Amino acid sequence: MTTDSNLTDVRSAATPGRRAWRVEVAGYAASATLVAAANLIGHLGASQLSGANLAMLFLVSVLLSAFWFGVGPALASACAAALSYNFFFLVPRLTFHIERPADLLTFVVFFGVAISTGWLAARVRDQARSAARRASELGALLEASGGLSAAATPDEAARVLAKQAGLAAGRAAIVLLPETDTVRLAAGPEGLVELADTTRAAALQAWRTGADSVDPAGWSLRPLQGLRGRVGVIGLRGASRLSPEQSGLLNALLHQGAVALERANLATAAAEVDALRKADHLRSALLNSISHDFRTPLATVLGASTTLLDYEANLKPAVRRDLLQSIAQAARRLNRYVGDLLDMSRLEGGALSPKRELVDVRAVLASALERLGDRLEGRSIRRDFAAQLSRVSADPVLLEQAVLNVIENAAAYSPEGAAIELAVQEDLGHVLISIEDQGAGIPPEALDRVFDRFRRLEQPSDRGRGLGLGLSIAKGFVEAMGGRIAATSPVAGGKGTRILIALPKPHPTPRELL
Amino acid sequence: MSLRPRILVIDDEPQIHRFLTPALEAAGFEPIRADTAAAGLQEIARRAPDAVILDLGLPDMDGKVALSKARAFYAGPILILSARDREVEKIDALDLGADDYVEKPFGVGELLARLRVALRRGQPGDAAPRVVRAAALEVDLAMHAVRRDGAAVRLSPKEFDLLARLVEGVGKVITHRQLLTAVWGPAHVADTQYLRVFIGQLRQKLEPDPARPRHIVTEPGVGYRFLAD
Repeated sequence: MTTDSNLTDVRSAATPGRRAWRVEVAGYAASATLVAAANLIGHLGASQLSGANLAMLFLVSVLLSAFWFGVGPALASACAAALSYNFFFLVPRLTFHIERPADLLTFVVFFGVAISTGWLAARVRDQARSAARRASELGALLEASGGLSAAATPDEAARVLAKQAGLAAGRAAIVLLPETDTVRLAAGPEGLVELADTTRAAALQAWRTGADSVDPAGWSLRPLQGLRGRVGVIGLRGASRLSPEQSGLLNALLHQGAVALERANLATAAAEVDALRKADHLRSALLNSISHDFRTPLATVLGASTTLLDYEANLKPAVRRDLLQSIAQAARRLNRYVGDLLDMSRLEGGALSPKRELVDVRAVLASALERLGDRLEGRSIRRDFAAQLSRVSADPVLLEQAVLNVIENAAAYSPEGAAIELAVQEDLGHVLISIEDQGAGIPPEALDRVFDRFRRLEQPSDRGRGLGLGLSIAKGFVEAMGGRIAATSPVAGGKGTRILIALPKPHPTPRELL
Repeated sequence: MSLRPRILVIDDEPQIHRFLTPALEAAGFEPIRADTAAAGLQEIARRAPDAVILDLGLPDMDGKVALSKARAFYAGPILILSARDREVEKIDALDLGADDYVEKPFGVGELLARLRVALRRGQPGDAAPRVVRAAALEVDLAMHAVRRDGAAVRLSPKEFDLLARLVEGVGKVITHRQLLTAVWGPAHVADTQYLRVFIGQLRQKLEPDPARPRHIVTEPGVGYRFLAD
């Protein structure tokens, strides 16, 4: 485990002030060199150069100083150029004395021109530089704001903010977010897992009081102020001052970061509310279903059994048997409903972890048909199975339940005695199971909702056919195995529904083998 | 022509008919089956059953509509089968003239007991008895007199009106609305607190143990019922 005391600042130890001063000295030295070079060239070419040419030469050195080093060096080199022009090139030479009035005029004009061009050129340079700096700040802000607005959770926003603030301030940055009644480290430089106790205490103080605080271990901590209140605390390594540009950029970043954190907090809260509302909706649908669908089988069990208890002697043996059978059927129906609800809650709870084994889909279909048994009594089941079939990687138990639900649904929604068609084929990447009934079909506007939970409840005429969970469970199971399920209707002659299940093959078949 | 009372069962669930038909037969009734409200109304008109058992949750017609249509031409007892979560529907049905209700799921014994009470009360030509005896109680509706263990009990006029309404329908649930309308008038149908107060007073005067009433029984959320035994 690493603590922050092991961290070293990546940037140079020099503070911005000292660094700037060094640059300045270097600028003056270089400007002096430039003036000296102009003098040298003037000497070497003295025979060919007139007074005006010499003046130009010195002006070039002033201009270069202005462009490269700024106002100070430019003005200094203007003075140096004027004086050395006078000293070396105006008669009498090697004195500062000027004999001819015309030379005096030249000297004065040269000095004025050198000062003003130097000053102007340096200003142009400063403006270009500050424009470039602003552009780079803007770039940093844009990058940060892109990252911040893409952050879906407070922790993601905290990570972006810590990284960008660290770059802007040129030092390590951490972001702490509130948690119950304390703050926790949400983002920081790589390797920083735990904060020193003093840092944590200083962060908590900043969070509680809303004022900056300093940790003796070397972090300065600032509360992050959003539009509606504090949203967290940011810490910067080191107590030294930031340059004005750095702190300007940092302030803008912190403001953006705070707003992004606030937005992420709201989004998280909204998502929680949404999840609660969905859970609530499911719960009420469930209660509805229990009161509708469990009541009739329960009434059958209670009614038939009390009939047997109260009037056993008066009932013919055939009637007694029929009552017992109706009790058994109702109990089975209840058992099926309970199974559906359990499957649904497994899907809801996300506790589903499908096994993976190589499965022959035809065998799974056969076993589902067998399990359905007398529930398909009187129906012809047409099978159109490919003779050669790739196996799929699936959970045989889940797959069997999924196809069983679909077949059961086909039986429930088509007239008694109507055929159900089962077909299995494959394409390059999938094994396809098609289950087709000859029922009334599904209106197009309801087609995309057939896999919704409890959909059946919307139609009172569907009472007694089941909980309306079968297809929704089938979809959940198929998708958990990486497959897809879809419904089409009508199939032929304006009637019928086809449910298509596509399961991916572990190894796609090469085209030439199909 | 059989002398057994004919009972029409109107329910869309075949499973309910499957046990009700043999149960009614075994209990000495002649069951008639109808699967929809429309078929049920037809059977009422055609067969003139002695009593009707009507499921309120029929797919082809709202239970209340079916009931008021039946009441337009049928005066015999109507028992309602209702669901626990359809409280309001059940009360509306009672207000519309249903005689009693049984909640699904139900035991056959309970349903048949309610049915027998309804049939006894509804016997044609048998005017409501003017003196009703219930254990130690004797209520003389004509004389406005109530005796408990032979001793006269003093009731206020409103208390007597309320008791009379319950006693006239002995065994039958009378809804809050029906009681309030009969005793206090239609302007007071929402004043169920009157009922709580007056029923409490009646129980104090008439019940052997007012905390556990035997005669004036509460049907929670629906109304009250006078039981003779």
